[in-house]
Parts: sequence; structure tokens; C-alpha cells
Amino acid sequence: MVFNSYTFVIFFAIILGLHNLPISWKAKKINLLIASYLFYAAWNPPFILLLWLSTVVDFFVGRALYTQPNKSKRHLLLIISLIGNLGMLCFFKYGGFILENFVTLSNAIGLNYHPAKPNIILPAGISFYTFTTLCYTIDMYKKKSKPVKSLLDFSLFVTFFPHLVAGPIVRPPQLVPQFETPRTATGQQLLNGLLLLTLGLFMKVVCADTLLASTSDIVFSSPGNMGPLDAWAGVLAFSGQIFFDFAGYSTSAIGVALCLGFILPQNFLYPYAAIGFSDFWRRWHITLSSWLRDYLYIPLGGNREGKFRAYINVMITMLIGGLWHGANWTFVAWGCLHGFYLWIEKALKDSRIKKPHLPDSIPLAPVIVTASFAPVLPGKSTGGFLYALFTFLLICVTWVFFRSATFAIAWRLLKSMAGQAPPAGPPLLTTAALLQVAIVVSLMLAFHWFMRDTTVLKTSAKLPWWLLGIVWALLLILIILSQGTSKSFIYFQF
Amino acid sequence: MKTQLSVKSAALALLLVLAFVISWELYLRHQGVVTDYDDGPELWAHTREQVYEPSDKSIVFIGSSRIKYDLDIATWQGLTNKHAIQLAMVASSPRHILTNLANDPKFKGKLIIDVTEVLFFSNRGNASPDAGLAYYKERTPAQKLSFLIDKPIESRLAFLNNGKYAINAFIGEMHIPNRPMVYPFLDFPQGFGITLLNRQTKMSADFVTDTNKRNKVKAIWGLLKNDPTPPMSGKALDLVMQSVTRDVAKIKARGGDVVFTRTPSSGFFLMAENHMFPREAYWNRLLKETGCKGIYYADYPVMASLTCPEFSHLSPAGAITYTHTLVNILKHDKIWGL
Repeated sequence: MVFNSYTFVIFFAIILGLHNLPISWKAKKINLLIASYLFYAAWNPPFILLLWLSTVVDFFVGRALYTQPNKSKRHLLLIISLIGNLGMLCFFKYGGFILENFVTLSNAIGLNYHPAKPNIILPAGISFYTFTTLCYTIDMYKKKSKPVKSLLDFSLFVTFFPHLVAGPIVRPPQLVPQFETPRTATGQQLLNGLLLLTLGLFMKVVCADTLLASTSDIVFSSPGNMGPLDAWAGVLAFSGQIFFDFAGYSTSAIGVALCLGFILPQNFLYPYAAIGFSDFWRRWHITLSSWLRDYLYIPLGGNREGKFRAYINVMITMLIGGLWHGANWTFVAWGCLHGFYLWIEKALKDSRIKKPHLPDSIPLAPVIVTASFAPVLPGKSTGGFLYALFTFLLICVTWVFFRSATFAIAWRLLKSMAGQAPPAGPPLLTTAALLQVAIVVSLMLAFHWFMRDTTVLKTSAKLPWWLLGIVWALLLILIILSQGTSKSFIYFQF
Repeated sequence: MKTQLSVKSAALALLLVLAFVISWELYLRHQGVVTDYDDGPELWAHTREQVYEPSDKSIVFIGSSRIKYDLDIATWQGLTNKHAIQLAMVASSPRHILTNLANDPKFKGKLIIDVTEVLFFSNRGNASPDAGLAYYKERTPAQKLSFLIDKPIESRLAFLNNGKYAINAFIGEMHIPNRPMVYPFLDFPQGFGITLLNRQTKMSADFVTDTNKRNKVKAIWGLLKNDPTPPMSGKALDLVMQSVTRDVAKIKARGGDVVFTRTPSSGFFLMAENHMFPREAYWNRLLKETGCKGIYYADYPVMASLTCPEFSHLSPAGAITYTHTLVNILKHDKIWGL
């Protein structure tokens, strides 16, 4: 079920009604759990079994990990959990990819191996809920937090429908305590939640699907070279589309949870106003980058084992982060390019300032603690804006690999962007499409820049009530006028 | 400093949205706009699932836009007592849909394939069928439910018209000049295509009588003259013929049957089609290789006398005449026990 559908409107209205009935807290939690399973089953009912399996196994393994005094048994339990979670992810998400690469390798060394192509359906949101359950068992192993007391609370933590399919990726301490005491939304939380839900739907339905998606689709599916104007318009359109699509989902999810009285972590913080790449990763998909920091980068050694190892650890983290997004080498290349940017930024920073060594525990940045190519963060100055713009343009280049189905398409597009490929045919995009991209992306960048140190809710609360009412109405009217079909969110495929 | 949202803001927003929706709907109704359905993958997929009805009670139609206009479903069902399942898609080739039906072992029914040569004998025009087929295959229970909720709403609100009154349609209608050779936004006038729940497409009475609107559509067809792609021939044509023959054979092997139709066209459209796709080399060869019955409109005086108001599709009155004649031919030739 997607947020931008009639089914969800009815589903949410029923859930909201049930959640505000004068019944016991346990009954309300059971309602929420059943609703979450229904929400998930609305995609593909059989896959609910995977979700149950993952939940039950990790609940009991997590508890055993926390209470088991024998070290080798605890190791064994952790391995069982890792194999269970990552094995499921590998089979469903990377099974075809691994086989394809194995076949290529076999053929390269002269073995004539041609197995049938596997037909594996990817369960929605498997990457997200796998990371959610993984962090629980790892935390239990490290005894970072206490085990969840009841299977009901743990199941609701894993399955809670606002975050289940595309995040934000929640950690047990962020959500489980909220299930322990009765809660319904206050009037203010309900208003905030509805405003965020409206904004999230506006970002998805109007900005991503209506104004940018077709331009990006035309350019990325074009079979030949194109002029730099078309190529850049397509890439800029995708840069906007991916932000509005994913941040739109996160904003809606946070809004929906808030309407029920629950607080989910922030996932986006105006990422295109980032000055440098470490700043970008502080602002883009925050819950994933902090997950990668805590469960991959730091366990690998972080920056505790010298500069060289820190560079290697950054690259490993970004490569795995890339692969998490999809079973294709183009995603690995996307991660690699980000790792490379972070290397350069860190090298520049290291050459300029001799800073005292900071321990990994200081959570200044999700992936790298101190790196930033800007000499000093200039904040909201013209210089800062230019740095942010430069960062944005370099990030646009990474999106080429992210969106292209093959490296051939990515190279062709990069050459077209550089004006190094003679166009294969007439120009692709209408003037209206070019203007749409120019206006939407410029407004997006301006909005990110002016909002980079604040939040929507803080800014909204400062507006006169009538002005907020008009803006809110405008968002709703534009959603209605988009008449979008219930298009799926891009991040569901991850 | 204020730190909380006011409930007055939400109330004002709700009030403004209601005022806008009611005013916009009333305005469009006043302009003569009628309600119709979005002819997208959702409606197509809903129709696709009907092909398993008993073959003596239904007939499936595939093709491009012409059969959607030219077959009057109400007339057909009144005369034959058989459900017409309309799976044709505008501006597309029906070949991928034919392949899908041929490869579906559960489909054992009767099929009428309408041929618009410029689309049928082309490797372009597969985007909409592929999107429809993918949607049909991957539809989730939630999407099916959304469809059921959406259709009653769409049938009551005229402004819910994706092609005419959505943001992208408004932008397209601004007609901002393009760079040379850019494929433009096709701004079909209001009333050219009204889609019903059974996927019948009709022109409005206003469109049929308005010369200006008809000329606007003719001008859009005129853009096809700029397409430098030559008609399909040689090896590519051989492959199409082989593929269609293979698909037809699969359907026949399961007890189904196929009839081809060629619906009318007029004016420069007809002249161009006759010139680019000579009947002997395309239509006659298609019937010969597939071994199917074909109904070519020009062979039947009543059908041949029909004129398309904008050169490519029949008016609602023309569609009724065409459908009457089609049923008569099928009955006369004792096809499918009609």
C-alpha cells in the first residue's frame, strides 16, 4: 500500500479512529500490529511469512544474545542471526546478481555454464526491515540496550507500518520505549502530522511524479547520444525526483506516525544545501548513513587505526552502501564515486588543518567525522552557497550511475553532459520540460539553502495562521490537480 | 514567539480546498465538460482480467485507437449478446498484447485484431502495451482496491481527467515554442476522446460538429508527415509476420480463433496509408500467412461510405453503422456462431 493512494486514505482513517477509541493500550498495539501486517500484505501477501520469520527469530535470538553468558555461544547466536537476516537479503535481492556474475566469471575462464535465469521476486522493503532487525541483534550482542520485553512490542517495532517499507530505519531505543506507555497524538501532534503528510505527498505526487519524472525517464531511456542541454536537464530532473520521491516518503511516514502519537527519526535535512560530502551524508538518508557508521564503519576500525585504514574503511562503507541500494554494479560505482569524493575532501581537510584526533563516538558526521572540503563551514554566506552549489553538481554526476541501468548508458550520458558526444537525433525535450526542470530544481536549491538550519514545523509555526492555511491549501490543491496514479516510490525497490 | 500550528490554519486550508474543488467542477460542467475515465494501465488491467469469460459469451478486441472509436460496444452487445472486451490501446501496436494472450494458456477465446498499418507494422508504439501488461502482472491487492474506490469518484467528477485538466496538461496547453524537430505536446481538443468504463472511446457531439476542433486534430495527424522512418519491409517485416503467425497458431491450437479487421480512414491519412502500406504487401500477406479471416472496410460498400471527421476515427454515429455492418458480415459468414 502506498501513501499516495485511495486505499491508504481509507486505511489510515480507520486506524486513526481505532487508535483513539477508549480501549486498552495492549488492544491498540494489537490493532496497530494487525494494521501493519495488512499494510504489508497489500503488496504481496505471502511475503508476510518472511517478515514473521525475521521477527520471531530475531526476538528470541536477541534475548538469548543478551542473557547468554558463554562467549562462544553468543558468537554462534550472532552468526545465526547474521546468516538468517543477510542470507534472506542475499537470496531475494542479490541471488540473480550473484549468479549472473558467477556465470560471467565462469565463461571468462572458459567454462561453458549457462543456468536458467532465476525468477526471484523482491519482497518490498526487505533491505529496510533487515537493517532494522540486524541492528537489534547486534545491539543485544554488544549489550548496548536491553532486550525488548514482549514479542508484541518487538513485532510492532519491526513492522510499524509508517517506517516498514522505506524507512526511516529505526533503532530499538528510538521506538520501543514509545510502545511501552499508552499514547495518542495530542492536538498539536495531529496538526503537525497532517501538515507533514500533506508536504510529503506534495513532494512525491507533484514535484517527483508530475513535474520531474517524465523528463528524467525520457533522458535515461534514450537509446542514443544527446546534446548537453537535454542530458543535463535529465540528470537535474532525476536529482530532484530522487530527493522529492524519497524525502517525500520519509516526510509522509514521519507525519503518519505523528498523527498516531509516535515520533520517528528525521531522515533528510535539506541535503542539497550541503557544503561538502560529509555534510551531504549528514543530511541525506540520515538513518542509513548513521546505521552504516555505527554497524559498519566503526566496527571496521573507523579512524582509530590510522589515516590509511580510515580511507579504506570509508571506501568499504560507501561501496557496501551503494550495493545496499540495488543488485547492480552501477550502484557500486555510485558508492565508489561518493567514497572517492569523501577521500578528496578528507585529504584536503587533512592538508589544511591539523586537528586533534576525534574518537568515533563523537557523532558529528555519519560517515566521516571531520572531513569537509570547505576550509571553514561558511554557513549562509555567498561563498557557502557557491560551495553548496558545487557539491550539488558533483552529486548530480553520481546520480548518473545510480539511475542508469548499465554502464554503457551512464558513460553515454556523461559524455553527452560534457558535450563530447554528437547527438544521435533531434533534441529530446520540449521547452516546457526544460523550463519545468529549471524552475523546480532552482526552487528546490533555494528552499534547501534558506531552510538548511531550521525545520518545516518550526518555520510553519512562525507564519501567520492565515498564510499557513493558504500555503497548506495550495499544496493540497496541487496534489489534487496532479491527478497522479498511485505510482510506487523509487526506494521501495531497494 | 509562536511555536505551534493553529487549528485555524487547518480549517482555512480545508475550506479553501473545498471551495476550489466545487468551483472548478461547477465551472467545467458549465463549459460542457462531461465525466470520463482515465484510460491508463489501471483500467486496461481491469479489462484484461475479463478475457477468461466463456468464449461463447465474449469476444476480445485488440488494436490501436481506431477500434476503440469505431466499435460501438453497446451496439455490438445488443446485436450479438456477447460481451465485448476492449483491450486496444491508443497510439500503440497490438502485437505485444497478442503475444501476451497467445502465451496465456488460460485464454481460449475469440479475438478480433484491428490493423492500423503504421502502428501494427512497426517496432515502435510498444510503451503503453508494455506498461499495461507490466501493471496487470504486478498489480497488488492494494492497487486493485484503489481502482475500485477510484472509479466511482472518477465517474462523478469531470475535473478528474488526466489528459485535459491535470498540471502537465495545463503546461502542455501553453504551447511554448520548441527547438526545431522536438516532438511536441499533442494538445487534442476537448471532446475528441471521451473514455467510458468499458474502454469505449467516443467523440463528443460538439467535437463532431466543430470544424475548428476537427481541424486541430487533423493538424496533429499532419505532424506524422515529418516522421522520416520508412515503412517496415524486408527482414523486419518477415519477423513481424512470423511472430504474428506463431501467436495466432497458439491461440487456434487451444480452440480459440482470430479475425483481422481494417477500420476506415479518410483524407490524407488514407492516401498516405495506401501509398506507404500497399494492401497486397501488408494486409493480404498477413491474412495469407496467418490463415485468418479478414474484414477490410473498403470491401463492403456501407463501411466504405463512412467518413472519419478528423481522417482517422469514426464519429459515434459512424461507429454504430460500422458495428452493425461488422456484425452482419460475421453473421453472414457464419463466423463464431453469431
